[in-house]
Amino acid sequence: MVIKNGSLLKDIYKHKLDYFFILPKFILFIIFIALPVVWAFFIAFQEYGIFETIWVGLTNFRDVLTGDLFWIALWNTFRYTLVVVPSQVIIALILASLINPLNRKAQIFFRGAYYLPTVTSVVVISMIWRWMYNSKGLINYLLSLLNIDAVNWLGSSTWALPAIILMSILTPPGVGVILYLASMGSIPESLYEAARIDGAGPITSWFKITLPLVKPTTLYLAILGTIGSFQVFAQVLLLTDGGPGYATTTLVHLIYNSAFRDFEFGFASAQAIVLFGIVLFFSFIQVKFLSSDVEY
Amino acid sequence: MKKTGLMLMGLALILTMLTPSVLAWEGKITIWDAPRWRNEEGDQFHWIKSRIAKFEELHPGVEIELVEVPWAELGEKLNIAIAGRDWPDIAPVDISGGTVKLKHLEQGVIESLDSYFTEEELADFFPAALDAYSYNGHLYGIPTSMTVHSLMLNLDIFEERGVEPPENGRWTWDEFIEKMKKLTFDRDGDGEIDVYGFSTYILKGYYEAWPFLMMDGARPLSKDNQEYTFDSPEAISALEKLASLKFEYKVSPMEMGGADVGGTFQAFANPEQRTVAVEPWASWAIATLRNSEKYKTNFMVAEYPIGESGEPITIGGSGGFVVFRQRDKGKAEVVGEFAKFLSDTEQQYIFAVEYGTFPARKSAQEMDPFKDNPQMKRAAEMLKYAITVPRHPNWPQIDERIQAQLQLVLNGEKSAEEALKDAGRQVERFLK
Repeated sequence: MVIKNGSLLKDIYKHKLDYFFILPKFILFIIFIALPVVWAFFIAFQEYGIFETIWVGLTNFRDVLTGDLFWIALWNTFRYTLVVVPSQVIIALILASLINPLNRKAQIFFRGAYYLPTVTSVVVISMIWRWMYNSKGLINYLLSLLNIDAVNWLGSSTWALPAIILMSILTPPGVGVILYLASMGSIPESLYEAARIDGAGPITSWFKITLPLVKPTTLYLAILGTIGSFQVFAQVLLLTDGGPGYATTTLVHLIYNSAFRDFEFGFASAQAIVLFGIVLFFSFIQVKFLSSDVEY
Repeated sequence: MKKTGLMLMGLALILTMLTPSVLAWEGKITIWDAPRWRNEEGDQFHWIKSRIAKFEELHPGVEIELVEVPWAELGEKLNIAIAGRDWPDIAPVDISGGTVKLKHLEQGVIESLDSYFTEEELADFFPAALDAYSYNGHLYGIPTSMTVHSLMLNLDIFEERGVEPPENGRWTWDEFIEKMKKLTFDRDGDGEIDVYGFSTYILKGYYEAWPFLMMDGARPLSKDNQEYTFDSPEAISALEKLASLKFEYKVSPMEMGGADVGGTFQAFANPEQRTVAVEPWASWAIATLRNSEKYKTNFMVAEYPIGESGEPITIGGSGGFVVFRQRDKGKAEVVGEFAKFLSDTEQQYIFAVEYGTFPARKSAQEMDPFKDNPQMKRAAEMLKYAITVPRHPNWPQIDERIQAQLQLVLNGEKSAEEALKDAGRQVERFLK
């Protein structure tokens, strides 16, 4: 539905039944998403108190940027994102490419299998990984078979963040697989036939046809993945609570602590807005470098 | 007839004067409470429900709504409720902990209860309990119980290794080390250590390990809370001792000093594990280890080892109810009355017997609630050595910085001196 400038009201009137059906969701969005976001922007400039708030201008932002923890958290979050997002996208692409040629029944099975972890609580997954990372857990047991000493996975600054990253990477990217399969399914078979006639093998076809034509999906997953990765929280809270020291403190974990432990809502809102800016910046970069018009 | 009418009016007037003002208010009170001990039906809220029913019976027109909140979520939910100015009327909060911030007291979120108690009534409370609910000379809650940290000793492991537990639960640091060495062993003969002498965890807001850090006389802040003092030689030597359990004497598992509270407890109390002989816990663990079907353990309580300070220092706390800001004076009186009702001598005695806490009232203690509970009896003796964490408005931030550095010492990444000095630099701006 394309709406020209100034014709929104006319369009609402014309499609009033359509708008009526999206109204409940829209109202919920306004109440539970839009208003809190606007409110967060507002209190980021205040020292928030229960009965009175003081307008402090940019002080909260200055404190965020000069604070000792923000840069540590940003660096940890950045490292997490840098590894997890490309890994998840590549794993999803490879899995989808392996599933796509299968028959319909096998496809349905694998789609379900890989989507299952997506609907499994991250709390459950984190608890299982916590057990696996235990000094006498599965991973150290496997290392012992190779005569490698047990590693203090979650208690060492060197290994704690990689341990969380590994857990995220090895949780199958269900959404990515589904989206890639949908995208691959819509590529005309004639393109592959033409490539075969020209002598291209499966690998060449994959690189020359599949990969470029699923680029919009790759872009979409990269942006969604980046946004999600910058918001990594639950696994950090459950596995390490940001430690040891601040080795796994991430931005959202920091925001959570500022708001709900330190009760500094203005400061936490300023941190959240800075995070918003960072995510926006990286999303823009991704759109700039990955977007392209694809027609087939 | 006229005379009778006048007499009736006079009687009514006298009755009105005699009737407590609390009866003047009618309406709904909201209380948040967390699970207590189970009754036969498995209900962990039966105690508060029975108290509510009794209070409603005594005060017709007053309705009390109970909101059941798990302990783990209580602090976060309360903070959100406070931020939204939608707090309950009364809740079980320890103001010396992190659940309600001192800033909330300064901002008037919590009602002062000064006017609810006479001097005589206050004299029935232990000074330490009252102190835990006092700030700037005002009383901000009613203490119902006291807690103390102590060491829990798995006597089966002591017996298995032929190690004598410390006499009357008291030991020096050297004696402690000797016993921990003997309690660390390879149970199944595969060349791997299966059972360790000691373990604990380090996490912001938790203080099980802190009595070790104070054993040589150190304190985190100066008495006036203006200066960081945890980088003193006494603090450094004490932290070095704690770290030596893991790195020098190797009597603690790899996980010691991590943030896994549940895992640490399971290692001690879960019958399928029982891989640690001694762990420090707050007194709630005594009731769990005595009464819980799953975690029932043959155990005794002991003091933290005595260091250079010459005393078995420990950390204590206090539990109770606070009343949140009330607009209606009549309601405030009823809520205050209800809080007192929940914390009378009889209830504190019941808490001590059933819930494993120490009474905050002397009169409840005099009823000898631990006559059949040697572990609680012994732990109660440690109360006199208990100190509380500093009462500083920025304590959550200060605590977090210190605990983060402690983790780095106990995972071997920093020396005690380096970590405690780094913590000092980081907390400086929160002390101003």
